[in-house]
Amino acid sequence: MKNIAYILIMVIGFGTTSLFSQDDLSPERKQAIDSLALEKVRDLSKYVSIIGNKETQWSEANRVIDRAEELFMQGSEIGVSSLVRTEINYYDIRNYFERLMRLNYNKVEIEWYNIEYVSDLQRQPDGTYVGVITIFQKFKGYDKEGRLVYQDTTKKDITVYVKRKETQIGGRLIGFWDVLLGDIRVKETTM
Amino acid sequence: MIFLVATIALGGTTACKSKKKLAAEQAAAAFEAKVTKAKKDLNAIINGTSDMTLDEQRKRVAQIKGYNINDPEIDKLISMAEKELDFQQAESDRKAEEERLRKEEEARRRAAQSEYAVIDNKFRDIAESKSMDAANAQIGLTLNQFASPDVPVLIIISQSGGMNDYDRPTTAEKFLNYLKDVKAYKYTVETVKRDSLGKITEIELLKK
Repeated sequence: MKNIAYILIMVIGFGTTSLFSQDDLSPERKQAIDSLALEKVRDLSKYVSIIGNKETQWSEANRVIDRAEELFMQGSEIGVSSLVRTEINYYDIRNYFERLMRLNYNKVEIEWYNIEYVSDLQRQPDGTYVGVITIFQKFKGYDKEGRLVYQDTTKKDITVYVKRKETQIGGRLIGFWDVLLGDIRVKETTM
Repeated sequence: MIFLVATIALGGTTACKSKKKLAAEQAAAAFEAKVTKAKKDLNAIINGTSDMTLDEQRKRVAQIKGYNINDPEIDKLISMAEKELDFQQAESDRKAEEERLRKEEEARRRAAQSEYAVIDNKFRDIAESKSMDAANAQIGLTLNQFASPDVPVLIIISQSGGMNDYDRPTTAEKFLNYLKDVKAYKYTVETVKRDSLGKITEIELLKK
């Protein structure tokens, strides 16, 4: 009886392994989704810069906020820090961008750099790939006279979720990788 | 005197017989050579080692047939050679058809590439616009090429094993504005579907 149970466990075990191995991605495909997730963060950096730019028309800024919002999972939050206070405030995505658009400076420059993975995309039991990308944000705020009145550099961690999904387009079933950004957590703020 | 005449007459008859024999032997040798050459040529045709063109090979087989050599081996070789030539003809026709189709496909691909290059250039113009207004003007013009602003834009992020991996599908309007926002065009047009008016109804891009 013990032997039969052992054989059953082995058979089920191997079956499961085989099922999981079908989901293994080739290095080329994995590389493609790694790049796709990084690209989404780079897109977000462009959106942040456009929304924060005081020269951006209101209608354009709102359109870009819509696009930026689409990059995130529902319920995600973005952390905001400052050199003049210790606490970090977290805002929902829409609220964060609307506040960014209305910042009380005459001119704002925001630049993201050193965008890279700190934790590679790892496959979770539900098939979602989860990783963490870190970015450095250089913020500069100028007054009416064009003087730099505030600047800081913030290191932020962005959780990324990549999931395989399917949709029908023109009668065809299209398999796509949906990249969604999660919370953006402030790790460090310096001059 | 009689002996002399008899000797000459007898000698002449013997010489005449020798000439006939020689001629017969020469004819037999020539026939043998013709048969040998025929067999050699037929075998070369059957084995595909003949230097002749397909047309020349057909003529040669017809010529050998015309010899009417009453030899079962030659008849068998002729039959095999004809079959081989039929096979080679079919192969040649198949290759010619394949080549014709390949050229047609190549011409189609070149035409498509040239058509796609125009679209690639329009997209690049938007991404490289000097100002937001210039980009918006380009977007307006380019959107006219689409059946609607909601036409699906599919972006292939990887191709392996005959399978495409896509980014989340977007729409023409969103994609054109995206190019304006990120100021970069890092794709090439892969396929385009159009309606009866020539407007784009679906476009597939390949990420570089």
